[in-house]
Amino acid sequence: MKAIVAVKRVVDYNVKVRPKSDGSAVELTNVKMSINPFCEIAVEEAVRLKEKGVVNEIVAVSVGSTQSQEQIRTALALGADRGILVQTEDELEPLAVAKCLEKICNKEEPDLVLLGKQAIDGDNNQTGQMLAALMEVGQATFASEISFTDDAVTVTREVDGGLQTIKLKMPAVITSDLRLNEPRYASLPNIMKAKKKPIDVIDVNEIGVNVDKRVQTIEVQLPPEREAGIKVENVSELVDKLRNEAKVI
Amino acid sequence: MDIVSRLAGVIGSENVSYCDSELQSYGVDRTTIWEGNPKAVVFPRSVKQLQDIILFANKYSLKVVPSGGRTGLCGGAVANNSELVVSMDKMNIIKEINLDDRSITAEAGVTTQQIQVAAAENHLFYPVDFASSGSSQIGGNIATNAGGINVIRYGMTRNWILGLRVVTGSGDILNLNKSLVKNNTGYDFRHLFIGSEGTLGIIYEATLQLTEPPKPSTVCVFGVEKFAYLTEVLKICKSMLQVNAFEFFCNNALSRVVGAHQYQRPFDTESPFYALVELENTEIETETVFEVYSKCVDEKLITDGVISQSIDQARALWRLREDISETLWHFQPYKNDISVRISKMADFLNDVSQLTQKNYPDFEIIWYGHIGDGNIHLNILKPKNLSTLQFKSFCDGVSMSLGELISKYEGSISAEHGVGLLKKESLRFSRSEDEINLMKSIKKIFDPNAILNPGKLI
Ligand SMILES: Cc1cc2nc3c(=O)[nH]c(=O)nc-3n(C[C@H](O)[C@H](O)[C@H](O)COP(=O)(O)OP(=O)(O)OC[C@H]3O[C@@H](n4cnc5c(N)ncnc54)[C@H](O)[C@@H]3O)c2cc1C
Repeated sequence: MKAIVAVKRVVDYNVKVRPKSDGSAVELTNVKMSINPFCEIAVEEAVRLKEKGVVNEIVAVSVGSTQSQEQIRTALALGADRGILVQTEDELEPLAVAKCLEKICNKEEPDLVLLGKQAIDGDNNQTGQMLAALMEVGQATFASEISFTDDAVTVTREVDGGLQTIKLKMPAVITSDLRLNEPRYASLPNIMKAKKKPIDVIDVNEIGVNVDKRVQTIEVQLPPEREAGIKVENVSELVDKLRNEAKVI
Repeated sequence: MDIVSRLAGVIGSENVSYCDSELQSYGVDRTTIWEGNPKAVVFPRSVKQLQDIILFANKYSLKVVPSGGRTGLCGGAVANNSELVVSMDKMNIIKEINLDDRSITAEAGVTTQQIQVAAAENHLFYPVDFASSGSSQIGGNIATNAGGINVIRYGMTRNWILGLRVVTGSGDILNLNKSLVKNNTGYDFRHLFIGSEGTLGIIYEATLQLTEPPKPSTVCVFGVEKFAYLTEVLKICKSMLQVNAFEFFCNNALSRVVGAHQYQRPFDTESPFYALVELENTEIETETVFEVYSKCVDEKLITDGVISQSIDQARALWRLREDISETLWHFQPYKNDISVRISKMADFLNDVSQLTQKNYPDFEIIWYGHIGDGNIHLNILKPKNLSTLQFKSFCDGVSMSLGELISKYEGSISAEHGVGLLKKESLRFSRSEDEINLMKSIKKIFDPNAILNPGKLI
């Protein structure tokens, strides 16, 4: 079975982001960039499936800037076999990314496409769903457990109010949730080996999809600071404040 | 009227406590050997009150234990002999952050972490850091000249002190160095108070130097086969990389931490020792790590390694080292915190491991520490069948032979934790009789009635 895993380069989860001084975008100079944590979980899952003998080839695909090769290398170090970068210096919207991925999937014909449920930069949570629709295959989003039987895959999904288990025919698109697994560390020997694994770089203009922007960013601002809480002396004061100041009861 | 009520009359009863639970908790630090038994705990809120307390103690011959966050590891803040504990908890205000001077002025009871956070909020950095920074106080850090995980790059607490305000043992209020960068006007008393372990006076305010925040960092953990190889790996890292930190721990330490916290091991292959290296996250540094790794593997110094791919992973790898002390605490470890010059490290380690094999064959020994600074923490875990006192007296015995060895290597019996009660008997292995006598004379000048921290340090 062949698996494609999508990986995205994003601002590290632990960086406190700030807008640029002109408010045009998020400040990225001197900021630590990492693989999107949900993508990392997707890669880990693919590698575990490979270790179990379910998957025999893993292709890590990224749509992004030249530097996204670093994140592909991370995926290769964790156990992916080769990489593809659809290179663009622009920031693409989810639909454009999904279209690029679709083109790659048409060529690669994977049985399984694994993505993170969302990227933590835009928090869009759209690419996986759009890709499944474009490919006209089944989708299982927010996966917390995946198991295989012959030509079908059973996925436990984290939904509001509990867990839902669904069964899909392959090929299928699955997006990972946080509890699917805990990714391993990239070992230095594996990173060195990963340097020898191939990465194909394709220019986004050569892939033949329309990546025009449909949304225009007008301004990026910090959210308003939260006001500090207050302490009340007793329950009656609390009730009084809720009733007369906050007017919620 | 008894003495405590009289004191309450002087500084207000709301600032004095003698309830049992507070007496016990304020009577001890992180050592597990002594039980707290102070007469009372006082919480001054101003210099005036602090001075009144010291004058009162002089008048009534009360012994005083200055007390910070009580995270100390040598019994420096222990009060087990009817002393008066002077806690700096209530003098905890950050008074100024000066962006022109790049400095922060804070009362002694502000925690190390609060200083770090305040610096970060102003896009600056206070580099002294270690696992207890959430509780340890800046006054305690100065009184112990605390080190920690960034010493290799930034030095000890001493390097970051611009000015100090203290009340001496005789009750004088001194403003030391006035936060000047340059001030060659004779003896610099500030440096006497740094590392004085509360024996000369009580520090009530300090001005600390701040600096540029470092670039984001990357953390590597290497598996190392032999003790002596650690210094080889250190040499190679230092020659090729800008190293922020170079720490080590043994496999027992890792297993205990991983077991206690359900952490992921860095890699599956087990090694007797691990080195943790922190670097600046730049492309050149990360590329060079691979060269370092290959070189070390070629020379058969290391067997396996990982490198963090995100800040989360860097932190998780750090926790493997930082959580050791707290994890071991439950086993009442006997701690040795020793150092030698880095160039003598390899031979020294060899001799120390022979000594421990000979003397503690049945004890679980846990090694870790700041090996990049020539500093190792040698912890002996207490077997369940020995009482605390039996265990301590046995370890004290072995400490004497360790002391002889340290003396031979001209090393230190206490690299960063201080002397306090725990290492007092060993002081002579690191300091000559003449030096110790001079220290005693100096103490007499600042604390003529010997009210401060009696029985500690000298
Ligand atoms: C998990 C853990 C990890 C640690 N790691 C490190 C490390 O890496 N490096 C390191 O150096 N230490 C380390 N320590 C030891 C300890 O945290 C430091 O020694 C710290 O500086 C002590 O600060 P404190 O406020 O807790 O002082 P306390 O323990 O309260 O007191 C220490 C000494 O200073 C005196 N003192 C306290 N406040 C004042 C004051 N205002 N004026 C005058 N004297 C005062 C006390 O009398 C005592 O002698 C660690 C401790 C723990 C528990």
